[in-house]
Amino acid sequence: MKTRATAAALAAAALALSLSGCVESGRSSTASAPADSDCPWEPDESVTTTARIAWQAIPNGDVVVKDLGILEACMPNATIKWVQAPSGGEVVKYYGTDEVDLGLMGSSPATIASSKPIVDDADIAVVWIHDVIGDAESLIVKDPSITDISGLKGKTVAVPFSSTAHYSLLQALTDAGLEAGKDVEVINLDPDKMPAAWQGAQIDAAWVWDPTQSQLLETGGERILSSADTAEAGRPTFDVGTASRAFITENPEFLTQWAKAQDWAVKLIQDDPATAAESVAVVLGIDPADAEKQFAGLTYLTASEQASADYLGGQFAKDLFNTAGFLLEQGGIEAVGTEADYAEHVDAGPAESVAGD
Amino acid sequence: MTQTVAAPAPEVAPSTPAAGPQDHRRERRRHRLKLLALHASTLLLLLSAWWFVTAMEWVSPLYLPPPGDVWDAFVRANTDHPVAAGSDRIVRGEQGYYLWEHLIASLQRIAIGVGAAIVVGIPLGLVMGTTWLGVVLEPYLNFLRSLPPLAYIGLLIVWFGIGDTSKVWLLFLAAFPPIAMATISGVHGVRQDQVNAVRSLGASRRQVLTAVVLPASTPDILTGIRVATGFAWTTVVAAEIANGIPGIGGLAYLAGNQLQTALVIACIVVIGIAAILLDLGLKSLEKVLVPWRGKA
Repeated sequence: MKTRATAAALAAAALALSLSGCVESGRSSTASAPADSDCPWEPDESVTTTARIAWQAIPNGDVVVKDLGILEACMPNATIKWVQAPSGGEVVKYYGTDEVDLGLMGSSPATIASSKPIVDDADIAVVWIHDVIGDAESLIVKDPSITDISGLKGKTVAVPFSSTAHYSLLQALTDAGLEAGKDVEVINLDPDKMPAAWQGAQIDAAWVWDPTQSQLLETGGERILSSADTAEAGRPTFDVGTASRAFITENPEFLTQWAKAQDWAVKLIQDDPATAAESVAVVLGIDPADAEKQFAGLTYLTASEQASADYLGGQFAKDLFNTAGFLLEQGGIEAVGTEADYAEHVDAGPAESVAGD
Repeated sequence: MTQTVAAPAPEVAPSTPAAGPQDHRRERRRHRLKLLALHASTLLLLLSAWWFVTAMEWVSPLYLPPPGDVWDAFVRANTDHPVAAGSDRIVRGEQGYYLWEHLIASLQRIAIGVGAAIVVGIPLGLVMGTTWLGVVLEPYLNFLRSLPPLAYIGLLIVWFGIGDTSKVWLLFLAAFPPIAMATISGVHGVRQDQVNAVRSLGASRRQVLTAVVLPASTPDILTGIRVATGFAWTTVVAAEIANGIPGIGGLAYLAGNQLQTALVIACIVVIGIAAILLDLGLKSLEKVLVPWRGKA
């Protein structure tokens, strides 16, 4: 009897100990941030908003802002919660269940979120363009004798479905007169699984981003197309910053500070890439040299460029509309809205508010 | 019931009439040493085969990094280190937490999930094993048991959010069917003459349950808990894919996305060792709680 009681007590104690919580889930990693993470401008102490921000491991200004704690420093009285998301599709889901107020996603998920049926659950607007995707996502082929996309006839191409890369690949195939599923086998594969499939010769090509892209290039792959080419052909892809429209209406000051921080990070990437790369490396857990290399594959826009008619100020709504037409064919959405509908889901306000600086 | 439990096991007779208890103990110690040597040499053989394969460069380090790299990744993940050689930016572990903190975060989730599964699974199993409810509920239990966790984690996120709640729910749902099933099979395995014996002595239904059925099915329940804990470990990566930092499953997932195979393997080894230790703990709990197991 005694031994049993002791054992039960021990088990209970062990359970209690493990539940007492030695690790807080939401601990910010500021312990590792550099000491001089002060606000680069006059902090706005009047903002007391609680903002939940979904971030992704993509080398752009967003992770620099996160790493350097700019938002926390510039809005000392606001509560910032960073939520890590594995993909843009997940971020859309978080909006649908009201788990986040702001979030980073590719232009494809942003289009899905602005179209039927998701638009009924997630009312968001694109407020920032974190980057325009260029060589960061590209089509790498294994067989060196294939030099252009038409050579892929009868081959298997891997791409993560519902991503911006998927969109770019299908656009490129369509432009080359090839039909996915008929002329070219397009399969869904996560980037981290591609090197193995590549080595086993189960795929002939892949449209993918780093670090897998560099890995495939290193093992003898050849880049024959990139998202820079599809952008030139009028089908650009982006990583965008979004926010719930209700949040935008209620917290204009927060968004101004947020946009200011993002603009500051864009300029840091442009003017001092080594420092920015260090922040990216910390968040992504990679080497700063690799991070700096990845900057080259993306184009970063300052607030004034973003607010112009080429981007959030006009053209971007058309890009969403075009993407929607394409996604409808792919079965990603149920219906394409009008161009005006998509314009409602683009808000150049925050970018405009700091464009003058 | 405790009388039977507390009854001392009869002294095992010495193997030969000449050998005293001292010899017997020495014999056992020698046996244990032999076993230890066997384990150690197997591990050594495995490690050197691993080292050899990578040293000969038969496989790319992307698929199988050398043991040294994995060790380096393990050390890096447990220390404050500069983000790159020569940089004065110091990073804490990986993703802002040490590896052991990631492990503890996952252990907490598993403890809560399995703990809740024990609290719910055992009473439910008892009820299902002793009443008509078992017939009604069994198909549902089987349905739940066969679902792959990746299929419904999305649903749980929609219902319970992206915090720890959805993760704990997932672990609970993975852990509770084996416990309930084990309890049911334990209840069904109770010898009817034991039940009849206490009944004839005037025991009430509740007394039958607490004095005979529950103790008699404890061995099965404990096995169920061990199986459930194993399930919880296999589920923890799925649970931590979304917003799973800190968490060792989340770390393994993020490292995999960055093709950092050495760190992934370090995580896997840590998960494996932690799981084995936890299982050993449960096994010794079994020895304390049901010493009669295998002796009746």
